[in-house]
Amino acid sequence: MTATKVTPLNPVPEPETEPSVAEAGAPSRPILQVEGVDKIYGNGTVALKGAGLTVKQGEFVSLLGPSGCGKSTLLRIMAGLGEVTTGTVKWWEQDYDVVGSKGCKLAFVFQNATLMPWARVRKNVRLPLDLEHVSSSESEKKVDDALEMVGLKGFDESFPRELSGGMQMRASIARAMVTEPDLLLMDEPFGALDEMTRNKLNDDVLKLKKENGWTIVFVTHSVYEAVYLSSRVVVMAARPGRIVDDIKIDKPYPRSPDFRISTEFAGYCRQVSQALERASGMGESKENC
Amino acid sequence: MSTPLIRNERFVQIAAPLLVGVLVLLLWQISVMAFDVPKYLVPSPVDIAESLVTDFSSLFSALMMTLKVTFLAFVISVIAGVAASLLFVQSKWIEVSLFPYAVLMQVTPVVAIAPLIIIWVDDTTWALTICAVIVAIFPIISNTTLGLRSVDPNLLSMFRMYRTSRWQELVRLRIPGALPYFFGGLRISSGLALIGAVVAEFVAGTGGAKAGLAYMILQSGYNLQIPKMFAALILITLTGIILFAAMVWMSDRALRNWHESALKVEH
Repeated sequence: MTATKVTPLNPVPEPETEPSVAEAGAPSRPILQVEGVDKIYGNGTVALKGAGLTVKQGEFVSLLGPSGCGKSTLLRIMAGLGEVTTGTVKWWEQDYDVVGSKGCKLAFVFQNATLMPWARVRKNVRLPLDLEHVSSSESEKKVDDALEMVGLKGFDESFPRELSGGMQMRASIARAMVTEPDLLLMDEPFGALDEMTRNKLNDDVLKLKKENGWTIVFVTHSVYEAVYLSSRVVVMAARPGRIVDDIKIDKPYPRSPDFRISTEFAGYCRQVSQALERASGMGESKENC
Repeated sequence: MSTPLIRNERFVQIAAPLLVGVLVLLLWQISVMAFDVPKYLVPSPVDIAESLVTDFSSLFSALMMTLKVTFLAFVISVIAGVAASLLFVQSKWIEVSLFPYAVLMQVTPVVAIAPLIIIWVDDTTWALTICAVIVAIFPIISNTTLGLRSVDPNLLSMFRMYRTSRWQELVRLRIPGALPYFFGGLRISSGLALIGAVVAEFVAGTGGAKAGLAYMILQSGYNLQIPKMFAALILITLTGIILFAAMVWMSDRALRNWHESALKVEH
């Protein structure tokens, strides 16, 4: 087990891990570069302070931290959904205008399934293609493929309310898949689901990542989920929101459910939990001052 | 195995209020007969039914006139109200600039401005229609604007991520999402269109060929034809109920697959 602090960040605790080592054979093209990003809301709340993070092609990066540490804010900035106060964000080493062009597609999976309740599953999944004016024959095939991959074949004519929470989330993932994204941003997508469904969907995401070659940035509250899924876990602290640790999970993919019950997994969880405790402590001590 | 009628929810929904109505009418009839109440004070249900039959011709033409004004006002309110809401939602500036005037129309009593409108507009039907529109349009504007603005922010973010046009955003997201609010507005507005038409008729006091049910009530009151007065009142009430039921039916048809308000909950 090697855990590494790889990205130079804000003031961070003493590294407990090995120095950064590039993963053997891993592609190194930066997909996302966030540098010195501050986000201050109109009411003066500092949501992010000096956030810096680079995500390379093929990585699975989880953002982990206590509530209010700016994980979702950072993810929305990465999606181009929020303006930064200061700092820069680059997508595929270019400005946001590149997003959407061939090889630079981005999709976002929200905390809730965020489906249109008035539309059937098929229409929901097809939405991004309709918005991009993709031809009907092409979009129908993509929708069929996506529904099959997420295991929703046969539910395409259902309304969202007729599906369970887990199935709705699968539909949401299928909707992200149809655009064949190169970068997938997921904002705590399985937070509201029971543990069994969550574990199942975790495995599904890993399978789909392997099949589609996605680069994923994933927001979660769960240490276990972060360790199981990620190649890197980025730990954030609150007040102000900042990145305080970056832990490499040096376990090759594919990962089987057996990984969850291994001592290696327990070791990573302990390490991430300690980093998280330190991050939480930082927020409190700052507040107490 | 057939279900007993008493356990049939649909049957109970219709039969229960009907039973109450029949009981009230019976009690009314018995009371009037027992206390020998004169017809010009409180007519019995039988007297009213008799009047409905004997005065059918005049009542029916009055009903048609009231219905004409009501429908015209309702249709204009829906078209103009939705158009105003679509305009408001395009820009906060437009909404802030114009919405107070919509409120102004709502809070101004129609009886106070009806005489002016009747003076300004030559055609009585249109004068009455304008008065009814003033009463009926606000719920459509208010509800539809609220609905068009109450979009799931995440869905809106997604649309913006795909750089959609305003038109796509409106047609694919805002309008379908606003439907429950719009139908809520329709339910209120349909009743208000009728109330507006009746109130305007009272103020205008139009007789002759353009006499509506309100005029019929006034005229019957002057002539102490109280059963006819009640008959006209019943026709107004029935019209209101039918209009409301039609709106509920339309709303259920449009929303039954997805919106909580129209879903049948199974226990």
